[in-house]
Amino acid sequence: MTSKIINMAERMKDEQDRLLESMFESTPIADNGFSRQIVRRIRRKLWIRRITLPVAVLLGGLVAFQPVVAILRGLYQVLSSMPGVPADLVPSLAGSLPSLQLIVTGALILFVVMFSLNMLED
Amino acid sequence: MRGEDNELVARVVSSQDTRAFGELIRRHQSHVRNFLRKLTGDMSAADDLAQDCFMRAWDKLHTYSGSGSFIGWLLKIAYTTFLQSKRKSKRYAEILEQVGHVSEAESRTHSVQFDEVTDLDKFLAVLSEEERAIMIMSYACGLSHREISEATAMPVGSVKSVIFRGKEKIRTSFDIKDHQHG
Repeated sequence: MTSKIINMAERMKDEQDRLLESMFESTPIADNGFSRQIVRRIRRKLWIRRITLPVAVLLGGLVAFQPVVAILRGLYQVLSSMPGVPADLVPSLAGSLPSLQLIVTGALILFVVMFSLNMLED
Repeated sequence: MRGEDNELVARVVSSQDTRAFGELIRRHQSHVRNFLRKLTGDMSAADDLAQDCFMRAWDKLHTYSGSGSFIGWLLKIAYTTFLQSKRKSKRYAEILEQVGHVSEAESRTHSVQFDEVTDLDKFLAVLSEEERAIMIMSYACGLSHREISEATAMPVGSVKSVIFRGKEKIRTSFDIKDHQHG
């Protein structure tokens, strides 16, 4: 009931209200690529958000690669000097480590695939 | 319209559908840009603010409850974006200076300069930023007092008194009847 009274009061417009409405009236603005520009910005933002984590992991991996290899080599030396450890276990662990070249190639392929997917989405 | 807007909003929120959001922008960009153009008096600054407004709307879309109108919710973001920006136009201050200090005879000699200033610009120049925003929401965007109250986070009673005050200012600063008949 109260809202009906408020609505009625709002509808009761005087001369000045009608004049102001006509003065404030504006022609609609054509889109002309405005929405497309914003959507493109949003997609770029989403893409950046999507690749941030993999890129950070990758960069972290690259930075940590050499120290990790050094630690593993140290472990290998410690393990190989310990009695009771099978002799073929430790060399096979060391051999299964990927090379730096392989990691960089993988990163580049990942980047190209993600970039292509983003282009296709656009 | 509201139902269709809500459907599009649901699609955006559930699956980050940029096409649905593009459709929402296409539907409402004219209102938002007109609101900001009138508020700033500067077309390019207003369009930049409108872009920022839609970017913020994308980030905050999950907070839209669907109870009020979507355009009311968008104008709330547009107004906040305007208030937070450092790009507030000096145009209205300049217009006010011209209207207030230049006599009629002098203004005729500056007719080229004044041609670019509409009656609406002069009306808006005498209002404060808050009054201007509320008057534009009410008379240009057609928002109800309740919707304006939601957009500006002001009680409905305060919205009404701001509109009343704005009208009074315009009435006392200009001869409305002259505009009406001529």
